[in-house]
This record gives sequence, structure tokens and C-alpha cells, in this order.
Amino acid sequence: MSWRLVLRRAPALRVDARALSPARLRGLSADDVRRIALPSGRDRLELGQWFDVLQDDGDADVLDLEGDLARFDCIGAGLQDGTLRVRGDVGDSAGLGMAGGRLLVDGDARDLVGCAMRGGWLEVTGAIGDLAASALPGDMDGMVGGTLVVRGRAGDRLADRMRRGTVVIHGDVGDFAAARMVAGTLALGGACGAMPGWGMRRGSVVFAGAAPQATSTFVDVAAEAGVFWQLLARDLARFGPPFDDLPRRGMTRLAGDLAVQGKGELLVTT
Amino acid sequence: MAALQHNGVAIVDTFAEAFPMKATRLLVTARDLAWARHAAVSATGLATSVIACGCEAGIERELAADETPDGRPGVAILLFAMSGKELAKQVERRVGQCVMTCPTTAVFAGLPPAAGEPVALGRNLRFFGDGWQIAKVLQGVRYWRIPVMDGEFVAQESTPVVKGVGGGNLLLLADDTDAALAGATAAVAAMRQVRGTILPFPGGVVRSGSKVGSKYAGLVASTNDAYCPSLAALAPRTELGEGVRCVLEIVIDGLDEAAVAGAMRAGIAAVVARGAQAGVRGLSAGNYGGKLGPFHFHLRALAPAEGVAP
Repeated sequence: MSWRLVLRRAPALRVDARALSPARLRGLSADDVRRIALPSGRDRLELGQWFDVLQDDGDADVLDLEGDLARFDCIGAGLQDGTLRVRGDVGDSAGLGMAGGRLLVDGDARDLVGCAMRGGWLEVTGAIGDLAASALPGDMDGMVGGTLVVRGRAGDRLADRMRRGTVVIHGDVGDFAAARMVAGTLALGGACGAMPGWGMRRGSVVFAGAAPQATSTFVDVAAEAGVFWQLLARDLARFGPPFDDLPRRGMTRLAGDLAVQGKGELLVTT
Repeated sequence: MAALQHNGVAIVDTFAEAFPMKATRLLVTARDLAWARHAAVSATGLATSVIACGCEAGIERELAADETPDGRPGVAILLFAMSGKELAKQVERRVGQCVMTCPTTAVFAGLPPAAGEPVALGRNLRFFGDGWQIAKVLQGVRYWRIPVMDGEFVAQESTPVVKGVGGGNLLLLADDTDAALAGATAAVAAMRQVRGTILPFPGGVVRSGSKVGSKYAGLVASTNDAYCPSLAALAPRTELGEGVRCVLEIVIDGLDEAAVAGAMRAGIAAVVARGAQAGVRGLSAGNYGGKLGPFHFHLRALAPAEGVAP
């Protein structure tokens, strides 16, 4: 039996929803689920105050949330297995530090999506805010594993300090995408704001849509890199348009950021 | 020794005795098949026998562009050694000296990652990049990009090692050298169609079949005098009947027992199909009485159905 929680009314204050996961609800009765308390402001309020708690015939490893959850932060934070589906918008830090499983958001998400993510699959059909796949304050590394897919646009400082994993943004992105990137792959389907790859040491940023305004600390590399491009393009093709035809497209390669290590690259498709 | 007759070819009622080995498959790709072949031939050179080569290696088959990770034509090669440690050494040495050096090539593991324990493929070769090398992890698989003078050499981080089977063999007993060569060539052509196997000797054929040991203390192997026509009347023991003046051997290494059996079956069928009138009068196999190798390939079980020409 899978759980379905339908939001009756939005809370007045922000709610930390990291306790909501398929694993946490597995084996509980409906009353037990209603009694789960979530932090809200200085209080802890029980789920039953906000949600209709329903059981469906389905996989026990699936939890469905429905409604406008824009005031619910940290949904899917620390998720390790199972599937958490949200039909509606979510708040900040969705998928914060998630290590496995699937978090699927059919709506928009605010800032810090997939921040410090370590594994799993995080997909948002709408737009997301700033600092997605980035680092927690004080951390050296941002996202270190897993896959983040966003069908809409993303805000500023996307993949800041990202170290490993794959981020795919189908829409436009803001300024400082892949800033201070350590490694990993960022693929962009739309337009890109200013200063892409600022301070990046390693890693790859693929521009399947509009070409970026690269800074002067990135240099053209004329050498053949067709083998690597085919490996990367074939991997990204699974994300659908506009990435599906990457293996049939060429690319030019800009290496940088020369202000730091300079082993990163901006791959601009042609 | 008793023999079955198939299309006039006597199939001796004996078996080939084979041994467990450590094996891996590598996919070598290049801008075109010619350069992939150059790299594969070079990487599998001097790899006929573990007696003195460190490993046995050969080309398994050629690959079309849609069969390779990077969409370029390539060649699948198999390498076999007596230990995982020796295989790791051979892989690194041969890929480093023969594949990385060959223009436009790249190298990938040809077995699924879960097939066995990984040994280094690009993991150590990356240091040739002198700090300029770059890694990329795609769907859990790490690749190394090493800057070289024609662009970059891409090598997968590691390749899995599996338990293979080495030393499957077939002996062709013929009227003369021409007949033996023609029969062996036909058998090799048929056996090379079997996936998961290689025939590590030149042209797939060995004329200096060996026995274990020697009268000389320093040698671990010496000529198989029981199958030398020149010694038929001299040696204390001979396995050759009247009229046999040339013997050639085909050695088979495979990724598993079924692959070796399949190759031997194909070889036997090819020789039998030509019939005794082609000059190969008999087929036999080498063994050590069943005491050394756990894999026994009985020719009787691998022969075509009795009385039916294949």
C-alpha cells in the first residue's frame, strides 16, 4: 500500500518536511501517519492538521504529496530510497542531501534544489530558484552525485561548487552557472546568463541551446575530442529534446577557467 | 586408441584438457577499422602462450560502429593469463604501448562491470597525461582523457576480469603439409565465428605442440614427441598411425566452457565436412590424463551426429 497525502490548506508558517519519505511511513497505520509532527516555526504540528491521509493500492515505496506545498521546505531531504512524488509546487531545499531514490516534483521549486545531493534522481517539471545543486554554507563541495533534471528554467549560481553527478536544465539559466565547479556535468538546453563557468576548475558544461558569452579566461581548443564528445552526447541524449540529437551535432570546446586550474570546459554545440 | 569414423575422418576417442584462466575483453575503437586493427594486432602480439608470453591474446571479432561505445568501428580482443595479477600487468603494458600509441584509438571494457573484479585499464595509464588528464564519470563509469599529439586518448577506468578457460585444443592428423594446412585453415575459419573465443597462435595454428616438462631441467615444456612424424619410428611412444606425415594443432581460449566447446565443435565439423579425401585422416586432442585441468572436452561428444555428414 502506498501513501497519498493531500494538502487541505497551506500552513501560515514555513514547514520543515524532511521527515516525509516513503521509508519513514512504511508500516505505519493511517493514525500513526497523521500523528507525525513536522517543525513549523517554533512549534511541531501534526500532519493530520494539514493533510488528508489516504492509502492507495500501490508500491509501498511510493509516497505521493498533492497540493500547493510552496511553504514546505526540505521535501525529500536525505532521501535514500523509494519514490517521492509531489503534484504541486515545493519550497526551498527540495532533495537536500538526497542519496538515492527518486524525487519527482510536478511543479516549481524554490532555491537550493538538490543542494549537497549525493545520489538518486531528482526531477522538477517547472522552474527552480537559485543555488540548485550547490553547496551548503561552509561546505567545500556542492552536488557530489546523482542526477538533477529540470524541465523549466533555473536561477542564478546553478551547480555552484558542484563536484560530481549530472545536472540537466531544459530551460534558461541565470548568472554564474557552474561557478567554482570542481567536476561533473551540467547540460543546458536554453539560454545562459552572465559568467558561465566562472572560477571552474574541472567539469563540463554543455550548451545545447544558445551559445554563451564566455569570459576571456576561457580559450578555444582546436584539438580533436570526438570520442569523449560521443560518450557524453550519447549519455545526454536520454534526456530528450533538445539533447536527443547531440550525438549528431558537432561542438566547439572552450577550456577554462584559466584564472584557476583551467581543466574545465564549455562545450558549445554547432 | 579407438576412433569414430565421420565422413572418413577418424575422430580419436579422447579429450582435450583445459585449464582455468583469468580473462578480459577489451574494445579498441579508432577513426576507421584499419587503425583499430593496427592497434589490436599490436596489442595481441607475442601472446601465443603463457609459457613465455605472460598472456594469451587474440582478436575475437571486428565491431561495427553501432556496436561500440563511441560509435566508431572497432575490434574486440580477449586476453588470458594464469592469474589476475599477471593479467592486470599485461593489460596495462599492452594497452599502454600498443593502443595508446596508435593514432585515433580509444579503449573500453568489453564485459559488463558486474562480470568480475576490475583491473586497471586507464586508471594508471592516465599518469602519462602528466597532470593534464581529465576524468569523466558517465552513468557510474569513469573514463580518462589523456592529452596526446592527435587530440586525446580516451580509456575506460577499468575492465572486469572473469574466469576463463584456456588450452582447449584440436590436433589434425594429415597425409602431408598441404592437406594439414588446408584443413587447419578451414577449421580456423569456422572456429573464429564463435563468440567469446580466440585462437592465440599464428593464423590460429601451432605446429610446435608441446608436452609438459623436458629432459632438460630448465625447461617447463618441450616438443610433443608422440605427435612428431619424424619421431614416429624413434620415440618410445607415438600416437600417429600409418601415413600421417604432418600434424597441426589449434589451441582455443574462451570466456567460458561453452564457448570453447562451441569452437571445437565448429572446427571438428569443418574438418569432417571436407572428408578424408581432403587429406586430414584423423582428429585428436591433447590431455594429461585428466589429472591437471578440470575442463575435459571429449571429441566424441563434440563430433557431428554419427554417420551424418555435416
